[in-house]
Amino acid sequence: MAQEKVLVIGAGPAGLSAARELTNLGVDVILVERESYLGGTPKKLKYSLLFPELRPASEVLDPLIKSVEENSNVKIYKESIVEGAKSEGNGFIVSIKDKNGKVTTEKVGAIIAASGFEHFDSRRKYEYGYGIIPNIYQISDVERMLSENKLVTTKGTPPKRVAILLCVGSRDATVGNTYCSRVCCAVSIKQAMEIKQRIPDAVVHIYYMDIRTYGLMEDKLYWKSQLEYRVGYIRGRISEFMRGPDDTVVIKGEDTMNLNRALVVPYDMVILANGMELGLGSKQVAKALGLEFEEHGFVKPLDPDRFPVLSTRKGVFLAGAITGPKTISDSITEGTAAAIKAYEYVTKGVWEEPVKVQVSSH
Amino acid sequence: MVNKALLSTLPDDPRYLDASYNVQGPLPEEDRNLLSNLKPEERELAKQFWEAVKSDFRFNEYLRGCLNCGVCTSGCPAAKFYDFGPREMIQYMMRNEVDKIWEFVNKKVWACVQCYTCSMRCPFNNEIAGLIMLLREYAVKFALPSAKEVLAPYRRVLLTVITMGNQVTPDMIQPDAFPDWGPQAVEESKNMDVYRKAIPVDLLQRTDIGWHSSLQTAVEIMTIFIESGVLDSIKKIDKDLYDMIMDIYEERKQTLEEIKEKWKKGELKEEDLPDSWLEL
Repeated sequence: MAQEKVLVIGAGPAGLSAARELTNLGVDVILVERESYLGGTPKKLKYSLLFPELRPASEVLDPLIKSVEENSNVKIYKESIVEGAKSEGNGFIVSIKDKNGKVTTEKVGAIIAASGFEHFDSRRKYEYGYGIIPNIYQISDVERMLSENKLVTTKGTPPKRVAILLCVGSRDATVGNTYCSRVCCAVSIKQAMEIKQRIPDAVVHIYYMDIRTYGLMEDKLYWKSQLEYRVGYIRGRISEFMRGPDDTVVIKGEDTMNLNRALVVPYDMVILANGMELGLGSKQVAKALGLEFEEHGFVKPLDPDRFPVLSTRKGVFLAGAITGPKTISDSITEGTAAAIKAYEYVTKGVWEEPVKVQVSSH
Repeated sequence: MVNKALLSTLPDDPRYLDASYNVQGPLPEEDRNLLSNLKPEERELAKQFWEAVKSDFRFNEYLRGCLNCGVCTSGCPAAKFYDFGPREMIQYMMRNEVDKIWEFVNKKVWACVQCYTCSMRCPFNNEIAGLIMLLREYAVKFALPSAKEVLAPYRRVLLTVITMGNQVTPDMIQPDAFPDWGPQAVEESKNMDVYRKAIPVDLLQRTDIGWHSSLQTAVEIMTIFIESGVLDSIKKIDKDLYDMIMDIYEERKQTLEEIKEKWKKGELKEEDLPDSWLEL
């Protein structure tokens, strides 16, 4: 048996995890990454601390990056994209294009698509004035500000009053995203706690509809933020922002715990918890590989319950946020799962198709 | 208020353990929504009203669901000044709260300015301003006192719209009539007839009409208003206005018929044809 190779697209948490597992299993990996560095969106946007453990992002990602980068069985194409994948037998002939337009072809036994998500661009919610009104940021901007320790307003001073608005670009039919992005509640609460750690006298209010710190995160984030940091929670979605005097941001909302009680409140800084979308990068990957999309615009798995890491095309596996909003730990888990499925496929040719099962009721 | 027929189901009803059981009884929420301080005949009318709104073909399209986010109320210009909010209305509708809807329709619903900001921003894509419009339509159809009161100052506007196809005529712009148009409009209104005389278009040199429609057009406009049921809704709420408009309609229609008749028989020359019904 010739040395088997697997193509991994995307070097984020899911792709890195898949590459590491595959090399551990003795399979060679070709890793294609659009950026000039590994680590994916967490590295690109310089994530600060990770929820719920409040540990630095590099503590989780750097060992993964190191194990892949230093592995001689991983061939890395940086600043490259996958242009197409032709089936040949059970495997594929893939063409990889670098930024100068040079195309290289590689023969692989299987493909793992782990090209992830992109943050929702809040400029699409024009009534929020992101990009127009100063001192309005997205959670994806604030991560960088926190990790570089430069959380300041346009006046150059740390904000004393901060509002965080959840569900920007998620759960919103006006922008076509009717799903929940799952992580923004947790990320926002984490950021609120980080802000309070650095600026203890700051007032931080979170505007929410529902707080979805599901599972074990409830007390580590939602409760802790109130017990230890006195973060305020106001139930209501803000409908618009106005530029106030002295570069403050004035919010317009409703305190929905009281009927018809309007809120017009100034803040020094407003953070929009923008959600997740598939993004152009993953759309290109899906097109190049001939994958199908599900109703929310993410890539459709073969069976969301029974085969979550198998795609609708034989030999192509999925991992991470390409199939829907995911946490970093979920993505790492899925990378591992996709790796074992790809290993079964390239070594034993295992590809299960969902069987229609007759059930007695329903 | 305890429903005797439901008492036999007590042991299975967990609400039996509730201290408020004696007051509220084991009533399902939908029935409880009908309990109110309304008088029996008023409650009956409120129920009829709500059933009529619900059975409108637009209702289920307009009302989809509610996340209780408050975006509608927070963007609402009317909510700033009145005890009114679109979310309040949606919640009453979602829960079938008949007496609350009744209360809302008899007062708050008229605060809306129909700017449609709520509809545009609703994350659940509810057609909220459309629902308010629906409530108002049925308030007019049911000739509710609040609708009468609100529409009273608009009698003159309705009359001009239906008889002439104009909404506002220049001479309506008076210092006290439209204070929200600002001082500029008041200033302009002083010399309105001079301005109008300067308009080169024939027949616009007057201030009692915005633009001119021929006899034929006027009759057609009125026929559309009658056939589409607009006058039927006015009939209940403002009988005088209805009678006045119908008289004008009959008169004009008759004149038009006579002219047509004469024209057909060749009794009229082309230059004898009326240029405008106003000249008749």
